[in-house]
Amino acid sequence: MEFFLVTLLNGLSYGLLLFMLSSGLTLIFSMMGVLNFAHASFYMLGAYFAYSIAARIGFWPALVLAPLAVGAAGMLVERWGLRTVHKHGHVAELLFTFGLAYLIEELVHLVWGRPPVDYRVPAALDGPLFTLYGTAFPMYRGFMMLVSVAMLGMLWLVLTRTRIGLVIQASLTHPQMVEALGHDVPRVFMLVFGGGAALAGLAGVIGGNAFVTEPGMAAMVGAIVFVVVVVGGMGSLAGAFVASLLIGLLQTFSVTLDWSLAGALAWLGVGLPPGRFLAEAARITVAQAAPVLPYLLMVLVLVFRPRGLMGTRES
Amino acid sequence: MTPDPPAIELRGLHKRFGNTPVINGVDLAIARGERHAIIGPNGAGKSTLFNLISGRHEPTAGAVLLDGEDVTGLPPFRINRKGLARSFQVTNLFHRLPVFENLRCAALWSLGYRYSFWHRLSRLREPRERAERVMEEIGLAARRDTPAGVLSYAEQRALEIGITIAGGARVILLDEPTSGMNRGETAAAVALIRKVTEGRTLAMVEHDMGVVFDLADRISVLVYGEVIATGAPAAIRANPRVQEAYLGTAHA
Amino acid sequence: MSGGTLRFRPLDLGRWLLWGGTAVLFLVLPHVFTQGFALTLMSQAGIMVIFALSYNMLLGQGGMLSFGHAVYSGLGAYFAIHALNLIGKGQLALPVSLLPLVGGLAGAAFGVLFGWVTTTKSGTTFAMISLGIGEMVAASSLMLPGFFGGEGGVTANRTAGAAVLGITYGPAIQVYYLIAAWTFASMAAMYALTRTPLGRIANAVRDNPERAEFVGYDTHVVRFLQLVLASFFAGVAGGLAAINFEIVTAENVGVLRSGGVLLATFIGGVGFFFGPVLGAVVFTLFVVWIAILTKAWLLYLGLFFVALVLWAPGGLASLVVAALQAAKGGRLRRRLPAYGALAAAGAVALGGFVVLVEMLYHLELEAVNDPVLQLAGLRLDVKTAAPWIAAAAVLAAGGALCAAAWRRARRDEAAAT
Repeated sequence: MEFFLVTLLNGLSYGLLLFMLSSGLTLIFSMMGVLNFAHASFYMLGAYFAYSIAARIGFWPALVLAPLAVGAAGMLVERWGLRTVHKHGHVAELLFTFGLAYLIEELVHLVWGRPPVDYRVPAALDGPLFTLYGTAFPMYRGFMMLVSVAMLGMLWLVLTRTRIGLVIQASLTHPQMVEALGHDVPRVFMLVFGGGAALAGLAGVIGGNAFVTEPGMAAMVGAIVFVVVVVGGMGSLAGAFVASLLIGLLQTFSVTLDWSLAGALAWLGVGLPPGRFLAEAARITVAQAAPVLPYLLMVLVLVFRPRGLMGTRES
Repeated sequence: MTPDPPAIELRGLHKRFGNTPVINGVDLAIARGERHAIIGPNGAGKSTLFNLISGRHEPTAGAVLLDGEDVTGLPPFRINRKGLARSFQVTNLFHRLPVFENLRCAALWSLGYRYSFWHRLSRLREPRERAERVMEEIGLAARRDTPAGVLSYAEQRALEIGITIAGGARVILLDEPTSGMNRGETAAAVALIRKVTEGRTLAMVEHDMGVVFDLADRISVLVYGEVIATGAPAAIRANPRVQEAYLGTAHA
Repeated sequence: MSGGTLRFRPLDLGRWLLWGGTAVLFLVLPHVFTQGFALTLMSQAGIMVIFALSYNMLLGQGGMLSFGHAVYSGLGAYFAIHALNLIGKGQLALPVSLLPLVGGLAGAAFGVLFGWVTTTKSGTTFAMISLGIGEMVAASSLMLPGFFGGEGGVTANRTAGAAVLGITYGPAIQVYYLIAAWTFASMAAMYALTRTPLGRIANAVRDNPERAEFVGYDTHVVRFLQLVLASFFAGVAGGLAAINFEIVTAENVGVLRSGGVLLATFIGGVGFFFGPVLGAVVFTLFVVWIAILTKAWLLYLGLFFVALVLWAPGGLASLVVAALQAAKGGRLRRRLPAYGALAAAGAVALGGFVVLVEMLYHLELEAVNDPVLQLAGLRLDVKTAAPWIAAAAVLAAGGALCAAAWRRARRDEAAAT
């Protein structure tokens, strides 16, 4: 039971991290129609910036400075890259962010090298937060959840209570109208893109040391974030929230489960299916299949309910 | 001898988008070979009606019959294969393909070539001849190899009609074919429409009353999603309800 | 009979020359570039040409952006290499020359399996589904070691089976000619497909899927068929890769390979049939040749790709065609000095940039051992300031010259029109 609780909390903290990433991606997609392939690259940059800053002046300044640096990078990318490519259409924008992801990974290789870097949880936050009958829940995970919730709370406040938030919300669905009303929509786009990048960077700061910080992290997390956005419904923040938690829990729980089809068949008293290939497939445990499950979910959603859980439009 | 079923028959047609009712019970029958105009104030639901007939949207209630066959809720390609073609109010072309290819693509299915990837297109005589003939009729032979996206507005409207008729459909729906045209272009368009719909059924949404009274055998007036009057042009002109709906805006 | 003009088609002769010339080129190339390395390059380029052309059936011709095309080529490669092993054991009487057909059929079979659900929509949804299926297959590869061979992959011996006409496929030159033959045949077949009703309707569906429905076509079926045909050719490429490398691993179905073919096709240009051919050759040069010259090759490739997306989204093919059209219109001669100046200035800037990048890579990766970088006959000590300043100055000067040349060219063009 305690194991279940701890795994649940771990899953939730991971899910909240995913929501930090997918919320930025959803905002950018809803507003600008661009599916930002390089979004997870900003996550990676956040982790690496934090690693370098923390090595010099400590974790707490890094927590503030690294996301700002990533946000600034995001704004530059929007101003000098996306804006140029915007006139060539959505496919070109997608390809630009796709190429950008390659470039950022290569730059990370160059500056920090290929092997994982030793970006560690700060000593002050290391250790268990509480222990349930022998299973410890790390303090750092609790910290992650705290930061995620606080950041997202702030995001919600900005979007619903400030003037700029109102403009952003309007631009989500009617950018031309907002521009016709006199708002500087290109500037809003730049802010949103930079803000989304900063959010991803913050996720990297707190996630990079809990998980691993290496050049491949962008590709790994990036794919999962796409799954989240698709399952939740492209363009829906609420959907992204639900899907983030769902996938976070799915991934966290599935690696702990040793069930397999063969096991289920044995429990039912039925033998294995014939043929070497089928038998091998039946012996695969849920834990072994864990990497595949999110993508399977995504494909199923796209086939049966392309709108996603709560999406308002399909693409 | 039983009479031919109407080319298009609408029975109790309703359509709502979310909570907004747009078509509120339309009953209409268009006879074979008839030229029927649908007029009405903006927002009356005329384009929506066409969308319901051609399969772009599914009705909330009611039935659409094509030549006596129930085609309600069928996807557009099935309805097209049964012999109905439509044009669009906002030009809807294959913008990267040249004029000739636009027309040829529109003819391929009806000529039986379907999804063939074993026929050499350049060797197929019928699609080429059909496309060239339609190209002449709509007056775009000189623009044969021009990508459709590059044509002038009037040329695009002409191509729009061309694509609609290239498949040889028996029933043709034209959605505001003369919108945005000047007098000369409109007159040419009317002559073209009259020629290409010879022997076919035509249903037409129009705002230009001159065109309507010139071409139509019968007229229906759509207001707030309901047909308030149907009949011969003279009767429609004299109808007080119609005059009220068009208060001050009728120009003949 | 109106409209029946007599069509004089001089282009036909040109087309025969082009195809004939290509065939001759394939035959003659290994005798022009005789080093073993050149043969490797040409063989890999041939495989990539088929792969990229098949990808463009989806992207350029069908309007479908796929992030998972390597699934079909990779699974084709796996089936081919298993078949090759069966041939080696004498359990399959198939000449190795026809092995790519096995790859093609496997690719097509998976195209049928995955294709129907993949092609319900185009646009972003299609891209996402293709990504999902790609990741799914790649992740499954470690779960089913019996078929995928686990971490080490599956190996085979291409000299297996009876030698037909004395061809064993031991020597690399024989493999080259096998690849060349299949490349030529695949190019011809894919070109022919563009000139069929399906090929043209696929273009129409690309341009305006809604209108295609209203002229009688089920766009889902059109996309599905296009995908199955494309996966066939992808599988052929995979089969040739299995023969060429004699090993197939999870990388063959992986995200990197899907990304690579996207890059290659786009770099070449999706709007022309020969675009992916050009892009495949350029891409192979990067991956096989430039990768040996410098560690920064992936950076250069990425920058090249992004530069094209930003400023020439039609790819290299569009630049070639624009130049040819300018030549035809007689404008090229007039523009040549301006182009020449721009190219020279660009070369200077590029030189400075390359030196900077190489020094940076050397500093990060090699300087612990030897701070001196040997580049094009220059000895540059990356730990001193002088080479950095010099290179930066060259880059800045080149950049300024480029800007000036560009402004001049624009002014000349405006004055001439």
